[in-house]
Amino acid sequence: MIAVDQLTKRFGAFTAVDSISFEINVGQVVGFIGPNGAGKTTTMRMLTGFIPCSGGRASIAGHDVFDDPMSVRRRIGYLPETPPLYPELTIGSYLRFVSQIREVPRSEQVRRVGDVMERVGLSGWENRILGSLSKGYRQRVGLAQAIIHDPAVLILDEPTSGLDPRQVVGIRDFVRNLAEDRTVILSTHILSEVEALAERAIVIDGGQIVADDTLDGLRGRVGDGVRYRVELCAQNGVHVATEVGALVGVQQVEPIGEADGVTTLDVRAPSDPRTAIAGLATGNGWQVRAMEKHAPNLEEAFLHLVGAER
Amino acid sequence: MNAAFAIFKKELHIYFVSPLATVFLAAFLFLAGLFFYLGVAMSGEASLRVMMGNLSIALMFLLPMLTMRHFAEEERNGTLELMMTAPVPLWALLVGKWSASVALCGLLLVGTLLFPAILAYYGEPDWGVIATSYLGLGLCCMAFVSAGLFASSLTDEPVAAGFLGVLVLLPFWLAGTVSEMVESDWLRVVLRELAILTHIDGFSKGIVDSADVVWFLLISVGFLFLTWRSVESRRWR
Repeated sequence: MIAVDQLTKRFGAFTAVDSISFEINVGQVVGFIGPNGAGKTTTMRMLTGFIPCSGGRASIAGHDVFDDPMSVRRRIGYLPETPPLYPELTIGSYLRFVSQIREVPRSEQVRRVGDVMERVGLSGWENRILGSLSKGYRQRVGLAQAIIHDPAVLILDEPTSGLDPRQVVGIRDFVRNLAEDRTVILSTHILSEVEALAERAIVIDGGQIVADDTLDGLRGRVGDGVRYRVELCAQNGVHVATEVGALVGVQQVEPIGEADGVTTLDVRAPSDPRTAIAGLATGNGWQVRAMEKHAPNLEEAFLHLVGAER
Repeated sequence: MNAAFAIFKKELHIYFVSPLATVFLAAFLFLAGLFFYLGVAMSGEASLRVMMGNLSIALMFLLPMLTMRHFAEEERNGTLELMMTAPVPLWALLVGKWSASVALCGLLLVGTLLFPAILAYYGEPDWGVIATSYLGLGLCCMAFVSAGLFASSLTDEPVAAGFLGVLVLLPFWLAGTVSEMVESDWLRVVLRELAILTHIDGFSKGIVDSADVVWFLLISVGFLFLTWRSVESRRWR
């Protein structure tokens, strides 16, 4: 659905986006993550045809973004970083205007406007002036304009930036529902956003793609992998760490503390060793206080990737 | 075409929901009234010549205020990003904005019809001359709106765009005065041809010279073309 090949953007001597390539299939939701200034917005602006590229190609639904911009524009819905609103207009008149320039058939305009307003939770707000809206409501209107023509591809630049937590949840639910039958690319520097919405993440830093993987794949890239934290209560004099380390399948055991007769271990093993540890404990008459799996989160994966670049 | 019409309606709508159009109409009609009074009182003839001449100068300073927000404000609001990623050809955007401002000018001119009505009540004005005067002013508005649009596309600061608009038009006014002072014959001719007053003079005397009509249309189209280039190029920067 979206194909990007060696796409490059230079502003004078500064290379904002450096020869990036990726493909996104129909129905995929892809998170575009990276620190501020990584080139996310520039990439999205090139995909929507708002700015030309300095090199490379990009196409959406088989139409080249630069050679056939009108066909691309018809197929995309775009929410820029700041919602593009005319402060003088009311929500209703603004959305009607967008439906007109977005080529919604005349007979459907009124219905569509009502429809999207309901979907983003703005029913009954037709007559509110855009200039008087709070950030969260502006964002909703921004989303409404992006979907009013029912586009096959949605490009959302930081859709939840500046929203309060409840609004964030609302917008995420909304995007998740949209994603069912659409290709969505959303940029963010908030990792939980990608975690909540996307199945795949493209990590960009300094204008280059540093990772393009599923979320699990990204987590797996963190050097340490999955760890288990085990708290055992044994009789005095028993060296718990050695015994656990001797279990089949356990790679490494690291004692991290001992207090009140409870030994805390950091266990690394390719497959879950907790049943074996529990068996060992029962056999030796130890008590198990806690055993938990600790998978690296996306934040760690992200820092690992982005940090590695610097 | 639909997009151009949608943009036309949107621009007019914004003019009227903001105080801009109202304040502008009031200022313009006040000036028109003043020029009308001065013209009739001083010359004692039932004509609009003085008013028309002065109004064309006043419009040169006022119209850039009406057009300054077109692109500058779109850039500021981020709505240019909406327009440039919607399936709207650039010509439709230009035509929509230009025709909205020209339509508002039309409304201004309709407002001034009060003055010929007063003339008709007290005297016997030459309706032919009045008609050509209005034609001249209308053409003037078209050219000034184009120049103002161009100025607006040069910056994202509406007020700066307003001043730029005046600056862009100023040479067309000053050219006439400067032409009297230069020695060289060919330069004098060129400057005189460049001056607005040279071309509007005929209309206020009741003469419709096709060369003058073409001159105004050329200026309009010329500035629209420059605006086109300017909007295109700002995406390159």
